[in-house]
Amino acid sequence: MKPTVDKLIDQMQMLFKDLAAKDLMVPNVISISPDRTMEQAKELMRLKKISGLPVVENDILVGLVSIEDIIKALERHRIHDPIYKIMTKNLVVVSPDETLPQIFDKFTRTGFGRFPVVDDQKRLVGIITKEDILRGILEEFRLLYVRDKRRQDVIDGEALNRSLITGEEINKLGADFAFSIDYVEVSLSGVGAARLKDFLKGRGIEEEIARKVAIASYEAETNVVIHSGSSGNIYCFLYPEYIRVRVEDHGKGIEDLDKAMQEGYSTATDQIREMGFGAGMGISNMHRYSDKMVIVSEVGKGVIVEMQFFLKDAANSA
Amino acid sequence: MKLIDISKILEAKVYSGEEKLNDLEIDRAGAADMMSDVLAFAKPGMLLITGLNTPQVVRTASIVGIATVVIVRKKQIPAETIQAAKMFGIPLLHSPLPMYTACGVLYAHNLKDIRAF
Repeated sequence: MKPTVDKLIDQMQMLFKDLAAKDLMVPNVISISPDRTMEQAKELMRLKKISGLPVVENDILVGLVSIEDIIKALERHRIHDPIYKIMTKNLVVVSPDETLPQIFDKFTRTGFGRFPVVDDQKRLVGIITKEDILRGILEEFRLLYVRDKRRQDVIDGEALNRSLITGEEINKLGADFAFSIDYVEVSLSGVGAARLKDFLKGRGIEEEIARKVAIASYEAETNVVIHSGSSGNIYCFLYPEYIRVRVEDHGKGIEDLDKAMQEGYSTATDQIREMGFGAGMGISNMHRYSDKMVIVSEVGKGVIVEMQFFLKDAANSA
Repeated sequence: MKLIDISKILEAKVYSGEEKLNDLEIDRAGAADMMSDVLAFAKPGMLLITGLNTPQVVRTASIVGIATVVIVRKKQIPAETIQAAKMFGIPLLHSPLPMYTACGVLYAHNLKDIRAF
């Protein structure tokens, strides 16, 4: 069991390693100015149910009031002293671009429960707790939406040649099926998915599975035609236990993936609606028919959809 | 129900799949204009009634395994739609009835919806 877990953790690290503080932190932090009293800090912390209060002067982070500081002030009858005399001044902070492994390392080394996030001008931009990290990871799980730096790596670089789901290498030239999507001739949308279905059936894949793959690919193909404004490709790889489909384009990208995920949200034109698409169901249909799905997108650089379809599971549930 | 009977009930012109008219048995049908709905909910072997006449209808039908497509509402069927239907071997019918009526008469002849699958 252990090696499996270790392997899983390694893979998870791969997936989440480029989540940065700015993705995880809570912005708009409650803070207090240093010339207020400890009493006022205590009240604010009680009211807002927080256990650490950043102290900020002209936007610059100058200290932190912890529960411990409050207790000390009470014990020493200094609760009416101004905050700057009592607060913790030696702060461990995180920069917005620090990544998950670095942040985790700081949690482990210091044993602190939270870190203020400050920019290079020492301005407070957010706060990050372990709960924020957990929440961030859970959100990523819902749909692995790879942000910023990592997105760029994926879309520009060698990560393109790795599976977004398992991390293993993908040789697109060795794809079992490849199709290039014609985005100019809108009426050709769906040809790739139809060919893919024929191909799968020709390879002896069960109708029910071929159908799932083709439906999800049809939506992905249609999205390239509708939204990307660029050419794209469909690649399909057959493995003993599953089928992997990659649909890539180099177009406009998705600005707000959370929104794009919502059923009913669409930016499609009338021409597309004439074709019976553009109802904002594309991504949910891909999600519905694939067993695993990852979408990576960077505005201006394109979209990659990778989907996996299990052969066994599908056979059992069909 | 035999496709030949369906074509008569719907007063339909057959654009592709004439050779299947006498043999193809249809027992489920549904109607939709939204291809994503069809992709999401259609069942293999069903008959689809739709107001769309683009080749995407036929491609969608082929992908989800729809046995017959009936186009309503439209005056004409584009050549590329007919061609796609012939290529995929999917019977393509064109009925002059409104969609509501087309559905109604088939339902009245005991053609079931897709829930029973």
